[in-house]
Amino acid sequence: MSVKIFKINEDLKEFMPQEIIDLEEKATWGNPKRGVMDLPYAKELIEEHSLCAGCPESVAFRYILASLPNPEDTVIVNSTGCSSLVFPHIALHTVHPLFGNQNSVASGIKRVLEWRFPDKVKDVVVIAGDGATIDIGLDCTLQSFFRQEKITTICFDNEVYANTGGQDSGATPRGMEFKMAPGGKQWDKVPMWQLAIDSGCHYVARLSVSSPKKVEQVVKKAIYVAREVGPTYIHLYTPCILEIGLNADQGLWEMRQRDKERFKFFEYMTDEAKEVIERKKKEGLL
Amino acid sequence: MYYVAQVIRDECSKYNCKQCTLFCPEPNTLMYKDEGHHAFVNTLRCKGCALCVYVCSDLLKRDSIEMVYAENRDVAGVR
Repeated sequence: MSVKIFKINEDLKEFMPQEIIDLEEKATWGNPKRGVMDLPYAKELIEEHSLCAGCPESVAFRYILASLPNPEDTVIVNSTGCSSLVFPHIALHTVHPLFGNQNSVASGIKRVLEWRFPDKVKDVVVIAGDGATIDIGLDCTLQSFFRQEKITTICFDNEVYANTGGQDSGATPRGMEFKMAPGGKQWDKVPMWQLAIDSGCHYVARLSVSSPKKVEQVVKKAIYVAREVGPTYIHLYTPCILEIGLNADQGLWEMRQRDKERFKFFEYMTDEAKEVIERKKKEGLL
Repeated sequence: MYYVAQVIRDECSKYNCKQCTLFCPEPNTLMYKDEGHHAFVNTLRCKGCALCVYVCSDLLKRDSIEMVYAENRDVAGVR
């Protein structure tokens, strides 16, 4: 795993699609200061994808992939859901394990990478939906926090099982109705960010993807803390505009409304994490 | 039958904001040109969600992007 694997053989270059050539020439590799402000100019690590028009989740993917400080040495572990449709279109190493065991698989990958490449920095990032993180994979997710695995977990919370038709999930707020849950949810939303803090995460953030700069900062902080201290968790609000019943251009409006209430920006860090973040700020990496 | 976004060059080049390029959900679709100081749309990739119009017109009140009808998405990304 290095930038070299993205180099194209000169003899075969004329047969390559333009997007692959751009990936070698115009993508931002090998620069830890990369961020969302590269988006207007650089080739992105995500290609044309199959998510709906205007889907806030695809914006989240753009910001996260633009913010990874070390993309050539990052392995992303994903899980079943809308997000897994995007991973074939991403120019990074990705692993698709069973539904719900993404944090267990990521723990194993991180341990093997630490053993195999002791002199290199390898990041392992878990990206999964709220069903995989909070319902089906809750035991694997929390156990990886208890074991203090050095991985970053990012949860895309759309508050519903969207791509199976709209059943309520653990992350659905009380009373919310969906197509396959017409009576409304009877219980409260699982406060996953609080569970992450209680289970030993060193950096926890909850926000919506309505602010690119904020997402960049949070992703970078979480990855730097996970490298040195222990598990980190990011809870991102990426509403499903189809299931809520909004138009394609209303995703950002919806997130801006929720910014004021249940997805108000929230950040928690332990003292060790604070020390790492202060150091990285001094180095100019945050 | 398709609607795609089109940047109005004269309006867009008055500002140096690039906000639409950040909020577009499609990768490498709305990009920015430093020569001329304006954004442009790769219309073959545009899915027509009009989120850029919401950002440009409703949030920033700059009215520099419009949705245009395109039979085969064969319109230029700037006019």
